[in-house]
Amino acid sequence: MLGSYFKNIGAPGVYFPSLILLALLAVAALVPNEFYLNLFFMIFMFAGLSGAWNIIGGYAGQISLGHAAFYGVGAYTSAVLFAKLGLPPVLGIFASMGVAVVLAFIIGYPCLRLKGPFFTLATLAVAEVLQLLAVYFRGLTEGSEGLSIPYEPAWYNLIFASKNSYAVLAFGYMVLVLVITLVLERSKLGYQLTALRDEDQAAESLGVNTSRAKIAAFVLSGALTALGAVIVSQYVLFLEPHSDFSVNVSVELALMSMVGGLGTAVGPLIGAAILIPLGEFLRAWVGGGIQGLHYVIYGCILILVVMFMPHGIKALVENKYQALMALLPRFGAAARPQPEEEVHLHFESHEAEAVKEGRPLIAAHEISKDFGGLRVLSGISFAVHPGEILGIIGPNGAGKTTLFNVISGVYRPTKGRVEFDGQDITQIRRIHQVCHLGMGRTYQIVKPFGNMSVLDNVMVGAFCNQAGSATAREIALEVLALVGLLDKKDQEAKSLTLANMKRLEMARALATKPKLLLLDEVMAGLNPNEIDEAIKLIRDIRDYGSTVIVVEHVMRAIMSLSERIMVIAQGEKVTEGLPREVIADQRVIKAYLGDGFELA
Amino acid sequence: MVFLQVLINGLFLGGVYALISLGLTLIFGVIRVINFAHGEILMISMYASFFCFSILGLNPYLSLIIVIPGMFLVGVLIDQVIIRPIRNAPSYMQIFATVGLSVVLINLALVFFSGDYRSINLAFAKQVVHMGDIGISLSRFIVFISAIAVAWLVWLFLDKTDMGKQIRAIAQDRDAARLMGINPNKIYMITFGIGSAMVGLAGGLIMPLYYVFPSVGAYFVLTAFVVVVLGGLGNMVGALLGGLIIGVIDSLSGFYLDPALKEMVYFLVFLGVLLFRPSGLMGMIGAEEMGLK
Repeated sequence: MLGSYFKNIGAPGVYFPSLILLALLAVAALVPNEFYLNLFFMIFMFAGLSGAWNIIGGYAGQISLGHAAFYGVGAYTSAVLFAKLGLPPVLGIFASMGVAVVLAFIIGYPCLRLKGPFFTLATLAVAEVLQLLAVYFRGLTEGSEGLSIPYEPAWYNLIFASKNSYAVLAFGYMVLVLVITLVLERSKLGYQLTALRDEDQAAESLGVNTSRAKIAAFVLSGALTALGAVIVSQYVLFLEPHSDFSVNVSVELALMSMVGGLGTAVGPLIGAAILIPLGEFLRAWVGGGIQGLHYVIYGCILILVVMFMPHGIKALVENKYQALMALLPRFGAAARPQPEEEVHLHFESHEAEAVKEGRPLIAAHEISKDFGGLRVLSGISFAVHPGEILGIIGPNGAGKTTLFNVISGVYRPTKGRVEFDGQDITQIRRIHQVCHLGMGRTYQIVKPFGNMSVLDNVMVGAFCNQAGSATAREIALEVLALVGLLDKKDQEAKSLTLANMKRLEMARALATKPKLLLLDEVMAGLNPNEIDEAIKLIRDIRDYGSTVIVVEHVMRAIMSLSERIMVIAQGEKVTEGLPREVIADQRVIKAYLGDGFELA
Repeated sequence: MVFLQVLINGLFLGGVYALISLGLTLIFGVIRVINFAHGEILMISMYASFFCFSILGLNPYLSLIIVIPGMFLVGVLIDQVIIRPIRNAPSYMQIFATVGLSVVLINLALVFFSGDYRSINLAFAKQVVHMGDIGISLSRFIVFISAIAVAWLVWLFLDKTDMGKQIRAIAQDRDAARLMGINPNKIYMITFGIGSAMVGLAGGLIMPLYYVFPSVGAYFVLTAFVVVVLGGLGNMVGALLGGLIIGVIDSLSGFYLDPALKEMVYFLVFLGVLLFRPSGLMGMIGAEEMGLK
């Protein structure tokens, strides 16, 4: 990270923001005016705090309205240790962050299983409980009267006589959060968070442990919030449960990210730089006479941003910023834009002859699945050997997708076992583990990570077996070349055509390097040309070493693709065999067309 | 005997919670939006009732004929102006929009009415009927009865009338309902209106009992969230039951534990329900959509 930063320092996209940050640092260190110093302190602090919120709220898409819990706990832990026991806040910071981490685990582990508004409600309730506790334990917190922090200026107390020192400290905090966010954005965790925000089931199928990723984001976010809270409280020198644990704190942090741009590193900075001065000037302008007016304005801004620019101000100015960057000169070795990477195909063609003997790659034994009183699958057994392509066909409602969901670990069968590579899949609790065992799948109804680029979508899959971004990127590019999406790699996934979305589904699954690939109706809705391409692609995939099970309605495709076909109807296996045998089988014709039809 | 008195107080308090929660749960069940500004609708209706009394001299029970239709209109307005444009947006957008509305309304009240606590001094509100050792507050009894009556009336409305059937159809499957020729926008608008009118009733009925101040809604709405989640979001009977349970918990823990901790007890119940049975006691409408099943 640091190395590539200095290597590219000559590029406008790198030196321009660096210069802006340097200028801000100079302002913080040198400006004598107390009013402006206070303003800058608040902007830096809120940019950092909102940035911390943005990790869980923006990147992971879990809207917390309980960050006041981390803020309050952080502020109080260090302040109580300082005021009652004399522990210098420089050390107290670590205690605060430690408590916040523990709190994040306690709240996160159960609450992050909840979706959408339920997570929000739960976090709201947690902050409320902590506020009540802070009022209740008077001996520790001084209750509603508030806790005063003794004014003893010293660096290790994080209390300074000069406001310049405070502003520089706040600047440091903001940069810390910014750098952490930028590193996160380019890391495996960052990709996983963005993916699960858009489609958590698909992310799970690509090997993302969504609960662990969300908790990691929550813990990081909570610890950084607590850190910021300590700095602010050593500046304000007074704590009070009704302001430090207030839902207003949580709303403000969320608001700044939302206004600037949710899930972007720079969004919280833009939000704070606009909203904090606005609030301060409104307060100074209307005076103390009208309480609450600046919150009225904040609230209106929040509503208007949601309705008219949901991607925030960053998205509005993005183009102009890029145009400006193009105008600025480049310096040194980083002068030229990077050349287009060449993509080498590392996939080797095994020309694998299917091994029909020996241990099958996957074997289902007598699986049944009931939904309530309805039996959807009953007693289905089959086996697939490495290198085979098995087609599964059956009339609508036969139970094909349910069968897929059972063998890929999404549903547990009511009866029976599925053995994959010697492992009993039905004993596995979490879908992402199935992916790590080497089984990839696509969904009949495509589930792209709509707001990520095509390349990033596939990288999420590649991260299944890779920790490093560079390698994951390489794998993703290879796979994209294989499925023929390389020219669309920078497009947003939601802008693709249906045919390309289905290719993307396959590409993501392929990037996990699966031993077995389950394809659920990847050809539905494609035109004849596209079907031919898809048939060729699936054959290529098999030749590169994967075993494939296809569920398909398009008969032409399934007949020319499959080496073996299994027919199911009404949840039962009708027959299994070579394509030409199956198609002539009277039972199959009966299952599709009913009695009274005979093959001429 | 003391226990019985505490229990009855709890049930009556539960009536207040239930009445506030019924509107919230109806709106969620049909529109699938958790209205974070629900408490502020309560706050507005309490102020409306207060000013009807202090300026027009109207008895709060009489002023309901103004407050209820007024709140219906407020609900329709919120739905059409704020919710309608973001109906199909991701749920976090709706959270942000209604949170924003809540912030605006609380602080507008602060600007216009200041932070003073105001109340209505009504002799009737203090009347207590004694039955043996048990005292029954008449005004609280009215709230309790109203909660049950409203739950029953809304159930009748949803079950028997054409409009009610349309609302239930939309709640079950909006696309299928649209194909049957139901105009979803109209249904959403009316549902939001009815939900808000129910809060209007609650606000008018509790005005003789409670102080009104700008953030009064925030206090009640948190309890209402607890109630509806406990009962099962979108479920009317659940909201009634949940309200009564939380009222009793509130009253018992306030008496036997510590009044300062009673909220904590039911917030812990809330977290417990969210964790172990997020679809609530009576089951939740739209649980599949929320990924809870």
